[in-house]
Amino acid sequence: MDLGNMQYNKGKSKADQPPRLEVEISGIKFKNPVMTASGTFAYGLEFAHLVDLNAIGGIVVKGISLRPIKGNPPPRIWETASGMLNAIGWQNIGATEFVTKKLPGLHKFETNIIVNIVGFDLEDYLEVARFLNDCPGIAALELNISCPNVKKGGFHFNKDPRDAHHVTARTKQVCTRLPLWVKLSPNVTDIGEFARACEDAGADALSVINTIVGMAIDIERRIPRLRFVTGGLSGPAIKPVALRMVWDTCRAVKIPVIGVGGIATVEDALEFLMAGARAVQVGTANFYNPAASEQIAHGLAAYCRTHRIEDINQVIGSLSI
Amino acid sequence: MLDRRIRVKGLKKLGGSSYLLILKAAEQARLVLPGQFVMLKCAPGLNDPPLLRRPFSVFDTDPSPRTNKPRGLVLLIKDVGVGSHALAALTPGQEVFTLGPQGRPFDVSLELGSRVAVACLVAGGVGIAALYLLARRFLEIGVKPVLFYGGRSAADLVLREYFERLGMDTWYTTEDGTLGEAGVVTRPLETFLRGRVRSGVRLYACGPWEMMKATHAVAQKLQVPCEVSLEARMGCSLGACMGCVVRTLDDAGDEQYLRVCLEGPVMDSRKIDWGTPPV
Repeated sequence: MDLGNMQYNKGKSKADQPPRLEVEISGIKFKNPVMTASGTFAYGLEFAHLVDLNAIGGIVVKGISLRPIKGNPPPRIWETASGMLNAIGWQNIGATEFVTKKLPGLHKFETNIIVNIVGFDLEDYLEVARFLNDCPGIAALELNISCPNVKKGGFHFNKDPRDAHHVTARTKQVCTRLPLWVKLSPNVTDIGEFARACEDAGADALSVINTIVGMAIDIERRIPRLRFVTGGLSGPAIKPVALRMVWDTCRAVKIPVIGVGGIATVEDALEFLMAGARAVQVGTANFYNPAASEQIAHGLAAYCRTHRIEDINQVIGSLSI
Repeated sequence: MLDRRIRVKGLKKLGGSSYLLILKAAEQARLVLPGQFVMLKCAPGLNDPPLLRRPFSVFDTDPSPRTNKPRGLVLLIKDVGVGSHALAALTPGQEVFTLGPQGRPFDVSLELGSRVAVACLVAGGVGIAALYLLARRFLEIGVKPVLFYGGRSAADLVLREYFERLGMDTWYTTEDGTLGEAGVVTRPLETFLRGRVRSGVRLYACGPWEMMKATHAVAQKLQVPCEVSLEARMGCSLGACMGCVVRTLDDAGDEQYLRVCLEGPVMDSRKIDWGTPPV
């Protein structure tokens, strides 16, 4: 028997034991650390025929406001090198329709539903948070104070850590039942400062990062590719930036950090976990590979088996410098 | 809707930069309805650039000459960009990622057969791709389809013989006068409709925005129903990215952004705000 075979046989008994992939974030248990990112997976149900929703840890649904929002005029998207720009402008069906028409269908699946909430001013955030706080079947709220594609609100809260603190603290007060996550913007000088502000204000976890503001121009017509002029860049192009910001955030705060930004493969997900992310969200990859999140969840199990890791928590924050 | 890797059967050059891409996809071919599309990944691997899949109208279902059973998807590709260039380089036996068929099709219920006497199919350039299955369906339900087909030049008017083989009446126009009447496609359409009993006439258009806008104007003037098949830049085709919207106006004049991938690509032309092109 050669050495290769011996190693294979030695590993086999361990490989029979499925690795533990469970993680805990803000008091909620996730069967694995893979979720889908807000705005890239609709309300989840739209993907149910293409992805096994029971195979992923959670679904962060499209940003919801109390009342429906119509969104920005087209063109709204433009593909760039290894990524895309979008300026959708929060088009959504509103909280009431989400709760009556979408949420009941999601209850059939064994996965956590996290609702991303949006608003143009503080009162908007509080209203939608109050409304959803009382709805069964929601695991947590994700406060979106980092969307670059609306002219007022949202983005405004990234300008000053004190504003981020204020909106987080006030929203946390009305979230009497649900954990509150805050999704941070990369369009800041020091993300650690914003992360600490949100932690101080009572945030239970942080999602890092939202899209990076970008732009593209049609050189024949000399007009912007997007009607909104600028848009949020997402996709593999932003992964190194997101990874660095997750790393920075993990060193700045004690609350769990969820890595988001250009994650398309299991290798990408592992990088974020090693940098300290407790879980990851798969975003733009859902657009061109609807089953990406499920594939990544299976890929994590396979990685643990081949590397004889019994528990995924042994991977989290395991980066050595 | 199916998310599958399917095999290329062949590629047929049509002249100019146009190709027919024939895919072995009997399952998808059985499902497809006139006006629907499929998304194709224009690279060998899912994570290779260009990242986003591209929408293509299903032109035909590659029916078996013996049994007439659908065997695959026939797509019209114009080699104009990075994505379509990669598709044009495919060879038989290679695999391509597809998602579909999908989208709101043309209204071609059997019941429509009793109400429609003449179906005017109005195509501009590659818009022809959305109209062949529709022509075949009309013949099946006993409706007479006629074709108005315009382009810049004779070389743009590909696939004419498919429609002629169905025995359809056809009117061709080119901007440079190299084939048919010189000018825009709505001119012979208006001539055809003038003086005709217009109850039972319906218009079905696919092509550049301005051409569909002009067809809609004809439909409004003559008070005939008109469906259009829209083109938009799509991110996902699943209704998730909200990127492919078109601005619509309801009866009260209230705006709404509808997704071309889900609420379209086929829409009643009266819904659309023709002053706001989606791309």
